[in-house]
Amino acid sequence: MKSFTIKFIATCVGTTLATGIFSSAFSVESVKATVNGMVCAFCAQGIEKRLSGMPATQAVFVDLKKKIVVVEAKDGQTLDGKAISLEIKEAGYDVTRLETVPQSVADIRAQMKGKNK
Amino acid sequence: MKKFLTAPRTALATWLMAGVAAAAHAGPMGFRDSTMAMGDFSPNWREAWVNHALTARDAFGVGGVAMRSDDRRLTREFAELTYTRLVHRVNGEHSQANFWFVGGAGQLKGNDFTGSKTMLAPGVSADYETTRVYLSGSLRLYRAPGINHDVASVRTGFSFYETDYDEVQPWLILEARRMRGLSEKTEITPMLRFILSRYFVEVGINNMKQGRFNFMYIF
Repeated sequence: MKSFTIKFIATCVGTTLATGIFSSAFSVESVKATVNGMVCAFCAQGIEKRLSGMPATQAVFVDLKKKIVVVEAKDGQTLDGKAISLEIKEAGYDVTRLETVPQSVADIRAQMKGKNK
Repeated sequence: MKKFLTAPRTALATWLMAGVAAAAHAGPMGFRDSTMAMGDFSPNWREAWVNHALTARDAFGVGGVAMRSDDRRLTREFAELTYTRLVHRVNGEHSQANFWFVGGAGQLKGNDFTGSKTMLAPGVSADYETTRVYLSGSLRLYRAPGINHDVASVRTGFSFYETDYDEVQPWLILEARRMRGLSEKTEITPMLRFILSRYFVEVGINNMKQGRFNFMYIF
């Protein structure tokens, strides 16, 4: 009985740890914004600079052709959609759509680059 | 005698008109908390500006212009404090339109008068831009006692192709400029514009065969 209990506890702890590590490694969260007025890299780089300066930001991607801005969160941190909208507004642009997606900036960049070609 | 007076006036018009161009590129200020440097250089016009955007719509700065006539007999220098205001912006799905106010005040020195004169230089400009097309127009007054050098310019151009954010985008820009009272000529300058992130550069040659180099950089 004692042996069974130890094995049971060990299994539970192992499963819990494995699930935690696994989900932590793959739970990437990004905020994807559709932005009006974003027509020039020289002007739009203000968006990248302002969003990169936010504490929860891991990476930023700007797609001029699709008028998309993507912000990836740091591990364990949550992005504030309202704050992102405000930063884009302060950079001189208007956000028309905001959504949270379970993808990294690298994934979305690769996806967009493929579509743009 | 009339010809003697017209030549330096024409050249002076060319120099002063060039000054408006720096404020008519992609916008005469950056985003909030950014510092922007601009330059406009040709044989008879060397101008540099720097301003800092305190808000998304207001920037304060300093600038200086060194001017010289075609015959190199007349020189002038204008140092100014500037205020730039984004009066109105319309962000479209695939376009952006802006209406700007630029105000300048400073001291003008010249070798055709003694001492210095206080010059006021208020102006407005408007621009419309997509990823492929650019249009702008500007009017700036240069007023000092006994001096009136109001300047108007229009620009239009297109980009050769769309680019991604991290790629160099080349444009062909055509500019026409004119200044009341000093020039009978309209300066026409075709320019190649290159944009890469925070770098903005233009090179061209005007219809008087003078080279031109403009730049903007956001810190």
